Amino acid sequence: MSRILVAMSGGVDSSVAAALLAEAGHDVVGVTMKTFCYSETPAQSKTCCGLDGITDAKRVADAIGIPHYVFDVEEDFTRDVIDDFVREYAQGRTPNPCVRCNGNTKFRDLMARGRALGCERIASGHYVRIEHTSRGSTLLRGGDAQKDQAYFLWGLPADLLPRLMFPVGELTKSEVRARARDLGLVTADKPESQEICFVPSGDYKDLLKKRLGTHPALEPGSVVRRSGEVVGEHRGYAGFTVGQRKGLGGGFAEPLFVLEVRPETKEVVVGTHDELLQDEVVIGEANWHGAPPPAGSSLEVQLRHRASPVRATIESLGAQVTLVLDEPRAAVTPGQSAVLFDGDRLVGGGRIAAAARRAARKHSNLSPS
Amino acid sequence: MDATYLDYAATTPLREEVAAAMAPFASATFGNPSSVHRWGRAAYAALEAARAEAAEALGAKPAEIHFVRGGTESDNLALLGWCDAHAAGTAHPTLAISAVEHHAVLEAAESAGNRGAARVVVLPVSPDGEVDLDRVRLAVEKKPALVSVMWVNNETGMILPVPEIAAVVVAAGGTMHTDAAQTLGKVAVDVRDVPVHLLSATGHKLHGPKGTGLLFVREGTRLSPILHGGGQERGLRPGTQDVAGAVGLARALRLAVEERPLEAARLTGLRDRLASALPAAVPGLRINAGGAPRAPHVLSVGIPGVKDGGALLMALDIEGIAVSGGSACLSGAAKRSHVMAALYGAEDPYAAVRFSFGRATEPRDIDRAVEATARVAARLRTA
Repeated sequence: MSRILVAMSGGVDSSVAAALLAEAGHDVVGVTMKTFCYSETPAQSKTCCGLDGITDAKRVADAIGIPHYVFDVEEDFTRDVIDDFVREYAQGRTPNPCVRCNGNTKFRDLMARGRALGCERIASGHYVRIEHTSRGSTLLRGGDAQKDQAYFLWGLPADLLPRLMFPVGELTKSEVRARARDLGLVTADKPESQEICFVPSGDYKDLLKKRLGTHPALEPGSVVRRSGEVVGEHRGYAGFTVGQRKGLGGGFAEPLFVLEVRPETKEVVVGTHDELLQDEVVIGEANWHGAPPPAGSSLEVQLRHRASPVRATIESLGAQVTLVLDEPRAAVTPGQSAVLFDGDRLVGGGRIAAAARRAARKHSNLSPS
Repeated sequence: MDATYLDYAATTPLREEVAAAMAPFASATFGNPSSVHRWGRAAYAALEAARAEAAEALGAKPAEIHFVRGGTESDNLALLGWCDAHAAGTAHPTLAISAVEHHAVLEAAESAGNRGAARVVVLPVSPDGEVDLDRVRLAVEKKPALVSVMWVNNETGMILPVPEIAAVVVAAGGTMHTDAAQTLGKVAVDVRDVPVHLLSATGHKLHGPKGTGLLFVREGTRLSPILHGGGQERGLRPGTQDVAGAVGLARALRLAVEERPLEAARLTGLRDRLASALPAAVPGLRINAGGAPRAPHVLSVGIPGVKDGGALLMALDIEGIAVSGGSACLSGAAKRSHVMAALYGAEDPYAAVRFSFGRATEPRDIDRAVEATARVAARLRTA
């Protein structure tokens, strides 16, 4: 039987994933990826070796009787995830670093290094399911609709899929916690991690300031309407994301939302909720888990984590993919992911490059922007 | 699975004789050695007996032995305590350290340098274990100057020419410290023969207790405490002494020194068995510091074509062979070794593996290690 590498973050989900595999008699090796340091000065970075996640993962691994190692992937993570995160904000987009990490860093690095340890399969604590058949492997939404994490995994290279296992994918979060308690795992009641792992304070603008220094993205600019009318000033467009209402100041006749960020002029464009609705989505960096669907296919697309999917037609496929939504959606945000599903099955996805409102859609009674 | 421990340079198990010697001081004879009463007197007597035992093993006087709480603390006290004691003058004291020092020396020197307490000079070391004595002379030209060079390098087992360096330093009017954590019981050390002023040791490398250490301070050497409190250990290390620890350290040290001639020969045999078998099993393998005189309990090798030295150690662990690479940090995330970089350059294409041997190591452990290393290295080269 082949050896399985379990990616252990130190949280309850991956703890239980590891425990379930060990319990089932598999040859399991636990690994925690050291992705970044809270401190950026080299002298202090050594203390990062004691990150809580690593400590918890080690305690769990010891309790369930499996070896545990730390993979230092700081360089790759900084290049592929943190640098990208900063660059995206600098360009007026809203990145999703978890998507980036799962697609670019985590599983790829785990597989490469895992092979050296004789591991042919990788397991993680994601709430997704995977079906392996002779025709290929298919990623499915998790059994717990509330916790489903398929949205984050569209970037996984297709050739890795046959090697993946998601032991908690069928379970609900409360079932996972119950299993962890039964097993006496120290992580059983550990709170969910919410914020971006490398922005523990929750304020990503601090990170941008540190990494960008002086940059137009952090300089004052105008808040404008689509008409060009200046309605206010902002203190750096990097602080804004499409759909955002906070931070625009008040005193408007109607609630205003960020429609667009224009890095070239440092403008933040605002408008009404109606103006926020869009139905054409262009995605780049598309990745497919199987054969790409043909143009004209009707699938469901999820435009944000936790957003409900909307039916869409693939209009064209090329370097970019153009999707037309059956119904317009608010706040389609460049930088976020558009993930395509066929029912529960993850088909593929991409990064949202642009979005627009098509004129003269028959179900729309809104005036086009 | 049968596991083979070949990481005695990281730490060693406590010897039974040592545990037995320590036992009374964890229970019945628990007194504070500074107390006036009989409990205190009993503890004091044991502490001073331990001091005498340790001193004798090193060729020192009992008053020159200071018990501290580990090798790192001993190194820090030597370097920072010396800097503090020499901070009064206008000139910056000089701290000259070798490029292959343990982090306890390296970081202590860096810290002194960063806060302006010393000018730090790093002395290069060749892969053959050579230190340029002219550079040493140059470094100590400006007084006051402390030279700190470890006797046996922990990562490679390389023996550095501490007696020669100490002679140069003393002749030039400098102060000499050596970190002898990996040396005692492996290489003959007698401070009557080697003019070091300060010498650091720890118990846990000698089958003694963890968290114990000593600093030999030659009579007349000026040193300030780095911790402040009661006046224990002649004012150099305040805090109620760990009597059991001191007793354990002294006993482990004495036994190691007494047994050294035979044990060192036995360990050398094991080391050489490994050194001759590995190159045949792993093509292109390099014996690190192969041209240097080396301590009997360590063999460090460089494995070519393996990008990820950390994975090599993990894979060996899965195969049941416990070894080290460079220094590992708390979490076990492998960092590039400053020692390998100092000897072979930052772009050295070899992954270092350190095998180290102790009292329980037998020839069949060596043979197992050879087989496992061959298997793992072959897999990693293709991975």
